[in-house]
Amino acid sequence: MKRDENVEGAFRIDGLNLHYGATHALKDVSVEIARNRVTALIGPSGCGKSTFLRTLNRMNDLIPNCRVEGSVYYRENDIYAPGTDVIDLRRRIGMVFQKPNPFPMSVFDNVAYGPRCQGIKDKKTLEDIVMRALRDAALYDEVKDRLRESALSLSGGQQQRLCIARAIAMSPDVILMDEPTSALDPIATAKIEELIVGLRKDYTIVIVTHNMQQAARISDFTAFFLSGELVEYDATDTIFSHPSNPKTEGYITGRFG
Amino acid sequence: MSRRSARKVRDFILNAVTYLSSTVSLAALIAILAFVFGKGSSLLNFDLVVENFESQGFVADFHAGFETCDCVAGIDLPEGSYYSEKWGIALSDSTDLLGKTVVEVDYVHPDSPFAYLHDKGVGTEPIPLRADYDVIRIAFDSYATALSRYGAEAMIASLDANDSIREIEFETKGGGIRGSILTTLVLIGLTLLFALPIGVGAAIYLNEYAAVGRFSKLLRSFIETLTGVPSIIYGLMGLAVFVPLTVKLTGATGGNLLSGAMTLAVILLPVIIRTTEESLKVVPDDFRSASLALGASKTQTTFQVVLPSALPGIMTGVLLAIGRIVGESAALVFAIGTTIKDDVSLTGKSTSLAVHIWAMMTDEPANVELSATIAIIIVVIVVFLNIMIKLITNRYIRKRLGVGA
Repeated sequence: MKRDENVEGAFRIDGLNLHYGATHALKDVSVEIARNRVTALIGPSGCGKSTFLRTLNRMNDLIPNCRVEGSVYYRENDIYAPGTDVIDLRRRIGMVFQKPNPFPMSVFDNVAYGPRCQGIKDKKTLEDIVMRALRDAALYDEVKDRLRESALSLSGGQQQRLCIARAIAMSPDVILMDEPTSALDPIATAKIEELIVGLRKDYTIVIVTHNMQQAARISDFTAFFLSGELVEYDATDTIFSHPSNPKTEGYITGRFG
Repeated sequence: MSRRSARKVRDFILNAVTYLSSTVSLAALIAILAFVFGKGSSLLNFDLVVENFESQGFVADFHAGFETCDCVAGIDLPEGSYYSEKWGIALSDSTDLLGKTVVEVDYVHPDSPFAYLHDKGVGTEPIPLRADYDVIRIAFDSYATALSRYGAEAMIASLDANDSIREIEFETKGGGIRGSILTTLVLIGLTLLFALPIGVGAAIYLNEYAAVGRFSKLLRSFIETLTGVPSIIYGLMGLAVFVPLTVKLTGATGGNLLSGAMTLAVILLPVIIRTTEESLKVVPDDFRSASLALGASKTQTTFQVVLPSALPGIMTGVLLAIGRIVGESAALVFAIGTTIKDDVSLTGKSTSLAVHIWAMMTDEPANVELSATIAIIIVVIVVFLNIMIKLITNRYIRKRLGVGA
């Protein structure tokens, strides 16, 4: 897929409000997310950061009674405009979930699932896609002899990298990650962080994290959410050294959250 | 009484009730098995399973100028067998597959005139008497007719006292249940062929597509109600709907295998929908989200991720269904009919093992032994199919989950 380097932002969010039934989960959020950078979303539990992430590929559509107002522009197209091809949107914007969720099928079939759903049937093409995705996800060496085994026989960290490989296999523009390391041990976490930093040159990454050190280590920009509001958004260095909002300072210094 | 000892007494009573109930249910199950095996094992043999049910009867006599043979038996005859050297045949008292007393032919000497019988009055077609046939009567020109109910010894004595016979009536061995076994197996296959796609499809609609609302709730309670409808009512529906339908489409003359399978399929639909829905419900939403996030359509997600994950649960439904198909009799009496047949045909009259039992028990007199024997065979078939499906399902689960791979 060709990237238009003239467009600076990957997403431009304008006056976004989201309600779950009577709950006002996102309040008037406006922000621009940079292309080919890692943007971290931080904030205490229930602050709306995961909800915000899910508006970017319209995964909130699956939740009943969920209402979205405002606009999310992706490459200057409002993805909430009527007539948006949600399936095509999700093909360009991949997602990695909190809990590793490989399908109960072989390692190979997991990575080949997305391309197959797009109608790619040629064996050689599929093999090339799968091998490249596994290499890009730094998993190839560990699973190259186990491609036909069930993905559920891999360790938790390997499963999560498999999920990243599965997303990469679709050659997306953006990868959304919803606390991808919260279910993993420190060693597996370090591997995933290393991987994210490496992926940054090819993909726009938006990552939700509970772990502020992680945000500081791997992200270029950080957005701080509190009670459904975007409190502060800036370069990560700025947020962690000179936050302009006292609430942000309070959160990152551990006074609440 | 202190509070503590009161609790002890209550606990004791409740425990005693649970132990007692499990003992009673276990005893009831053992009693059924003991009855079936006790009554039925005497008639259980290989012939019963492979033989035809219908026996073929013949009335025959000798061709002109036959000779009695005075031949010595060429083989060692079994105990209880009576041999006539003059006629070269051995007869013994025996019981047929249905348990009736008969005179059975043990041996016919190659030179015996009985090896060269003709169909009486009809033509020149030779119909030799063979071992395993049952002799019904032998009539003589001027001597009391030898009937099978007087036994083999008397029949041989009558033969030895005469130099010629007027006619002999005999029949091939019958009473086997091969036809009913095959019909039952075909019925299982056909019914699942009708019921599975429709039931699984309906369950997918209810669980994956239908909006949660009054309509789907109504539909669900409707399906639940159908589970409790007595099967004889389904049988009446089969008689009113499927029998005329198949008669019109295939030229069948009455209840037939197709209409039976369709009726059973309708009975099974609620069972299959229920079990499929339950197994779809336990498929983690993680799989659905992961698939949708990869740009798969809803349909792709359902059929390539959700349905394969639900398959082991669906197989449990298939097991229940097979039990129901094999066990159903009331509905089938109307929808297939009770004609016991040896050849399996989709549009002809035939019957399943359960209805075969029904037919045996409504005979005069009721044949409890044979019914119990058929019950044993039904149990064996169901256990065998259960084990096969369990093995296949476990293999499938192991492959997908990578346990012990």
